[in-house]
Amino acid sequence: MSAGELLLSAHALAVERGKRRVLSDVSVELLAGEALVVVGPNAAGKSTLVRALAGLLEPAAGEVRLCGRLLADWPRDARARVLALATSEEEGPDALRVAERVALGRYPHRGPFQALRASDHAAVARALEATGIAALAERRLGTLSAGERQLATLARGLAQEPRVLLLDEPAAHLDIGHQLQLFRTLDDVRRRGVGVLAVVHDLARAAQWAERMLLVAGGRIAAEGPPAAVLASEAASRAFGVRIRGHAVPSLPHPHYSFEESP
Amino acid sequence: MTNRSARLRIAALAGALALALLLATAWGSVALPFNGILGALLAKLGLASDPSTLGATGETILFTVRLPRVLLAALVGGGLAVVGAVLQAIFRNPLADAGLLGVGAGAALGAVLAVHLGLASTVFFALPLAAFAGALSAVLGVYFIAGASGRASLHGLLLTGIAVSALAGALTSMLLVATEEFRVKTVLFWLAGGLDGRGWTHVQAAAAFVLSGVALLVLLGRPIDVLSLGEDEAASLGLPVRATRLSLLGLAALVAGASTAVAGSLPFVGLMAPHALRPFVGPLSRRLLPAAFLGGATLVVLADLGARTLSPRFELPLGALTACVGAPYFLLALRANEGRG
Repeated sequence: MSAGELLLSAHALAVERGKRRVLSDVSVELLAGEALVVVGPNAAGKSTLVRALAGLLEPAAGEVRLCGRLLADWPRDARARVLALATSEEEGPDALRVAERVALGRYPHRGPFQALRASDHAAVARALEATGIAALAERRLGTLSAGERQLATLARGLAQEPRVLLLDEPAAHLDIGHQLQLFRTLDDVRRRGVGVLAVVHDLARAAQWAERMLLVAGGRIAAEGPPAAVLASEAASRAFGVRIRGHAVPSLPHPHYSFEESP
Repeated sequence: MTNRSARLRIAALAGALALALLLATAWGSVALPFNGILGALLAKLGLASDPSTLGATGETILFTVRLPRVLLAALVGGGLAVVGAVLQAIFRNPLADAGLLGVGAGAALGAVLAVHLGLASTVFFALPLAAFAGALSAVLGVYFIAGASGRASLHGLLLTGIAVSALAGALTSMLLVATEEFRVKTVLFWLAGGLDGRGWTHVQAAAAFVLSGVALLVLLGRPIDVLSLGEDEAASLGLPVRATRLSLLGLAALVAGASTAVAGSLPFVGLMAPHALRPFVGPLSRRLLPAAFLGGATLVVLADLGARTLSPRFELPLGALTACVGAPYFLLALRANEGRG
């Protein structure tokens, strides 16, 4: 796959929940190997956007294309081999073992009846290794911390071996060490040509990791561009109701951010 | 869990069931000797030519009373346990049971209707058929009422199940009051759950639905596992969530409905067997469902043996017996569940 190839695109996308329009006129593109981060205040429509891009919500208007083909036109299993979604809400049965849970990520490749092959077990092992939870492989989900369960969900997504990885707050329950490891894993993944789109709450962390930032507020895209520029924008201050300032620190590759409540 | 140790455990469960079947066939108001039973069975299957040592009376008891009853207990127990395991996976709740979908209440309404109209005593097999129809109607009703507001959410299904069960229970009470007294006893015995007087027709009817339903559910093990991860994750893995859930609920209703139709209501069987076995074979359906079938079958075979033999004067209602064991088990499981969450 060529770097920079357009993998996922939404055009004039609108989504309704019940009768309420929660997302309007959203256009977004995700390229192969790209790290795109979605930020925004609570209830801005970030999770709705991710779910619509994953095909879990029907667009009320506009369209989503995966590799040029309308999302709705993809056969389910083929789509799940190309696009994976991991959210922080997913939980498997407590008695399920981590390796078994991650192996369910091979479902789109083998379907309901075929036995897993050596290549599937290898993909599962790689995913466990990449997320740093290989040592937990035989543990039951019920015995894990929220952060460890979240890494198991991400490992399931990696085991799908997708070309597009959509993440909804992948770092929500992770301590700082695991956060750094998570974003390093995501960098490894996108260096292999996978397009990664992640909703991230921590603005400083989001700015550090991503190449491009999408600010969603009130169900619309309020700003888009390089993270430093988006965070410096008037739109960002208005969306969060805080003053955001970036401070260049000579010894660091990224600016340091400070946040103050607006007067 | 390695495949090998899980297989060994399932083999051990199969051994336990075989032992329970043999014990339950041998014990009763008239005891039959083990070697006599085996000899008669082998002769029946054409594997031995010697006349059995049971005698004519013994053979009659074995083939027309004991054997159908014991096999029916195994089918019903196994079926209910598999349904419990499937519903627990779909509803992502280790304490889910067929009763949640209205199976028991619907079956009771159907049975009482058949008795009230006098069909139960005049038309062959009318009571089980009516109970079966009642159970299926209740589940269908629950599914479509819950789904009428758009997509059937699990939460909506559970609450609708409670409401439909309550309505069916109310109609059952009203019908019972309006039913002639001499008929009420028939239905009370059925409602209490039991296998007294069941014969080969019941075994054949139950086997047709239970065995084929269980086989299909085991075959659909991996979709069940994917669904147990939650709707969003299942959909993102390419599973057609609504169609899969509807097929699984349909199969579960057929199996639970057929079991309840021939045996009445047997509370907690669908809850206890999978719950107790999950720690030993894991929650993946390809292993848990066969294990639950064997465990549930063993449980009900032994419970029915108890129902026949615990009291020298009369037979205990089997459903009351499973409830006496199951209710405390349920409460303990509930406490363990809450303590952890």
